[in-house]
Amino acid sequence: MLSLLLISIPVGFVGALTGLGGASILIPLMIFFGIPVKEAIASAMVSVVATSSGSASAYVRERLANVKIAMYLEMFTSVGAIIGATITTLIAPVYLYFFFAAFLMTSFIRSETSRDDVHCQGLSGSGDLSCRLELEGSYFDEATKQVVFYRADHPVLGGMGMMVAGLAAGMLGIGAGAFKVTVQENLLKLPTKVASTTSNFIMGMTALAGVSVYLFSGLLNLTLMAPMAVGTTIGAVAGGRVLNRLKGPLLRVLFFAVVVCIIIEMVYKGIASW
Amino acid sequence: MVERGGEGSGETRLETWISIVLMAGVAAALILEAWGIALLYRASHSLAISHDKAMFIHGRNFFILLGRRISGTDGSLGAVRVLALGIVVLILTPYTRTVMSVVYFASRKNLKYFFITLFVLAVLTISLMMH
Repeated sequence: MLSLLLISIPVGFVGALTGLGGASILIPLMIFFGIPVKEAIASAMVSVVATSSGSASAYVRERLANVKIAMYLEMFTSVGAIIGATITTLIAPVYLYFFFAAFLMTSFIRSETSRDDVHCQGLSGSGDLSCRLELEGSYFDEATKQVVFYRADHPVLGGMGMMVAGLAAGMLGIGAGAFKVTVQENLLKLPTKVASTTSNFIMGMTALAGVSVYLFSGLLNLTLMAPMAVGTTIGAVAGGRVLNRLKGPLLRVLFFAVVVCIIIEMVYKGIASW
Repeated sequence: MVERGGEGSGETRLETWISIVLMAGVAAALILEAWGIALLYRASHSLAISHDKAMFIHGRNFFILLGRRISGTDGSLGAVRVLALGIVVLILTPYTRTVMSVVYFASRKNLKYFFITLFVLAVLTISLMMH
């Protein structure tokens, strides 16, 4: 437990810097040290609840995360997470290695430019679903010193994308943050800061839906969950504090290196277990 | 940020309460987990990862299961009870903010978001109770 606690701190730190979250890195590490894959996934989901709730608290307080958009999208992610976690309890562990590696590859999808400065007051269409669902908001951008207005596009398509994100999160025990941000930026056309912080807010709820399934499957081990939750949250808080001081290219290199290492390990494990 | 022009989703009071609940829930859970780890070490002089049945949370109804764990009627040790309580608090943190959102939107007579948050709450409650 002490080793896992000590490993979880730098993992949470790197997870916060890369935007992958601690669970994506910790699960392959636990598997490497001999923890059964299903137990590792189930326990990691609890640490996702901790790290997400901890960091989302600040994002909500700073009005960066949009709670209405988050609550709308949670309808889809929570259902997806329950389906995903149920699949994990039913399928052979060997497939999970390959699913994990395949899903991490979606982290390389680069985002398109999001559309800012659009809000419902300037739209004549009261029939616009996004406006009817009040999927709009504003935030003060520290970098440009301006208030940015935004409105979510394609709410139905975005919801479907988030259901896929929830399914993967529940199935693999991760936050699926990178994928959620991609959906929000590319389909909902939300500004990057709103997409990443709202994604973080949603992660806790998605993870909770997944945890409920693992609870009944008897996969939640207290001696794994406790040190992981404490370690990754401490690491994530520390990572969040230094994030703005680090240069973008360095973070991209770190992200690329970590994701490639994890993909190689998971594919190797999958082939070895075949 | 709100005083500088950004309004988030425009639900300032709800956002403030959600922020407080999330922070308090995570802080309480992590303190309990750290305390549980210390108690476990004092009781067993070991911090090895255990696959003993007592270390797994397992049951068909989350709320009944946790009531038994916390009250100790399942015969678990003090350290295990504290660890389980920490996980309970953690699990209940996002659940609580959903309950709070349902109540908030009901009080504001915002039917759209009352039903949206109620749907999420129903999905979570059913998944926690009916397996």
